[in-house]
Amino acid sequence: MSGVLGIAGYVLREAAARKFILAFLLGVTGVLVTLSLSLRIEVVDGALAASRLFGEVMDTNILAVDVALRPIFMAAAAIVFYGGILFGIVSCSDFAPSLLSPGRIEHLLALPLRRWHILAGTFLGVMTLAVCAALYGSLGLVLIFGVKTGYWTVGPIISALLACVSFAAVYAVMLTTATVIRSAALCAALGGLTMVAGIIAGYRAKIAPFIEEGLSRELFKAVTLLLPRLSSLAQASMDLAASAPLGVQSLSMLLAGVLVFGLGMLAVGFWWFEGRDY
Amino acid sequence: MQRRRGLWLVFAVVLFGLAAWLMLSGQGEVEVAPPPTVAFPKRLRPEERQRMESRRTYVMPTVDSGTAADPKPLKPTDPVLAALPRGKGKTAMVIEANAIRHSPLGELLLECMMRRGGDDLERFKKETGVDPLKDLDRLVITDEGLIVSGNFGDKKLKDLLSGRGSTNYDYGDGARIFEPTFERNLSDGGTVRRDGPRVGLWNDQMLVFGRSPDGVKQVIDRVEGRGPDEPPVISESSTYGEMYGVVSVEQLKKMFPPDQQELALKLAEVAENVELHVDARSDFAMTAQVKGSNADKVTDLGKSLGGALSLARMRAQAEGEKELAQLLDFAKVNPDGEEFRLELAVPLEVIKEQLAFCREQRDSTASQDAKPQEAQPTP
Repeated sequence: MSGVLGIAGYVLREAAARKFILAFLLGVTGVLVTLSLSLRIEVVDGALAASRLFGEVMDTNILAVDVALRPIFMAAAAIVFYGGILFGIVSCSDFAPSLLSPGRIEHLLALPLRRWHILAGTFLGVMTLAVCAALYGSLGLVLIFGVKTGYWTVGPIISALLACVSFAAVYAVMLTTATVIRSAALCAALGGLTMVAGIIAGYRAKIAPFIEEGLSRELFKAVTLLLPRLSSLAQASMDLAASAPLGVQSLSMLLAGVLVFGLGMLAVGFWWFEGRDY
Repeated sequence: MQRRRGLWLVFAVVLFGLAAWLMLSGQGEVEVAPPPTVAFPKRLRPEERQRMESRRTYVMPTVDSGTAADPKPLKPTDPVLAALPRGKGKTAMVIEANAIRHSPLGELLLECMMRRGGDDLERFKKETGVDPLKDLDRLVITDEGLIVSGNFGDKKLKDLLSGRGSTNYDYGDGARIFEPTFERNLSDGGTVRRDGPRVGLWNDQMLVFGRSPDGVKQVIDRVEGRGPDEPPVISESSTYGEMYGVVSVEQLKKMFPPDQQELALKLAEVAENVELHVDARSDFAMTAQVKGSNADKVTDLGKSLGGALSLARMRAQAEGEKELAQLLDFAKVNPDGEEFRLELAVPLEVIKEQLAFCREQRDSTASQDAKPQEAQPTP
């Protein structure tokens, strides 16, 4: 276990050394600070009476704070979900290929570690990074709106964590790809493809009737059955952020399914990595 | 080594299978219905404009003295709108009885009315010749009384109104006033005569109920063009929704609960009148337009109302009243200078739940009626 944690720490140190990640954190901080300084909200007995952004009146309607903030939290959840996964794909695509690059991999394999420890450690390191970034952004958003309106909700934080679970499934595909071909570009491409496929899989029930009945429709259903339902999870995360009723039958099962898909993909990576000669 | 490697693959296949089952069960194959949306009445819709135009049926008679060189032809007007009170501080609420009757809400209310078999309705039809479900068009509630429009040409109604020694006489161009009296037998053998409401029947299409003959005559005068020159409290362009009208601030103050009297006083101080519109075509959606002369005070009042609604919603959430909280989800105040619009809605599903007892009562009555019939031996 210490081997897995050691590799995870190594990945985190590598991330901290990258200017790209630091720029991202500074960017998120900038957005949060700008929002907190430029947004003025007047609340009367729990109703949002007036809101101004950069001095401009945003919405003249007077309605309950949580109802008024729903679209903002939903939009924020959608940005965190899809934007976060996209950013994760781009920024983390290089970690695994560089760790498995010639010279480094031989050094790692010489350490008293099992092979799967290296992959699991990389996965754990990247996921720690993703969870920290998601918590930082969502907690900041909750704090700003909480202080300004008096309405406190954990919805955006939970939705950010849901995005992390989705990213776990996507990153597992990227990590497994890296064990086959050590290419950051291919890792990112397959990560992006998984994301798109995951969005389609979430809408499989709606899309299926548009496909010609017979083999092609059954094939579509069979393939999408195995893929992580990212768009369903995104919708659930938006619903949670807005404290709206959930559109899915069981969020915990869906969440567990996406996570188990990630673990399954990771197991494929372990299988391939164990048999590879370096 | 190879065996352990193979185990990873087996493990992966098991995990993929488990993931597929979990995701299928978690998401569900049935599409979830979209969240409810409520359409608030804000302006005349095409069908309401058509309805408004089709109601311009009455051309006021003119007396040509021969002095006008080219007398302009008079435009036909809606007699019900013409009958409405004039001037500030008056109340008039129009209920589109026919439209409500054919709405889902009307169906629910009718189900409630008919839960005892509808005997009262049948008796009413038999005695008056008026079928409330077919012959009523609009119902107007005013400070002075009630105005009902529809088809009242049946002889039985006139006989009923003019019977029992009541006075009746023609008035104006097309109206007849009825002043019915009712007799009640006392326990000592004597009788007491009591005056009933004064009724005016205009052109077999409008019934006017008032407290005094003069009140009824004033309404008839307004319809036939002998009233004041001021416009009616409801203009044609405001005839949207299934219920609409103007409520005086004094009347509205009475509707507030005791714990909201402070808000009611503020409303009376700031607002001049309140225009109400209710859409009952699917959900029960209401907009109230509050107008005042001081923009700042009106905006403050809007904020207070918005706050009161928000507090009520929070209280409902805290006390577990899901339906009420859901209802207040749609509550919104939209300020606009010297006026603001308040929006409130009751989803149809909530109304259905509230009126579910009617269906249950009706079903149980029907099953009780059926039992004795089942018990009878077949010949």
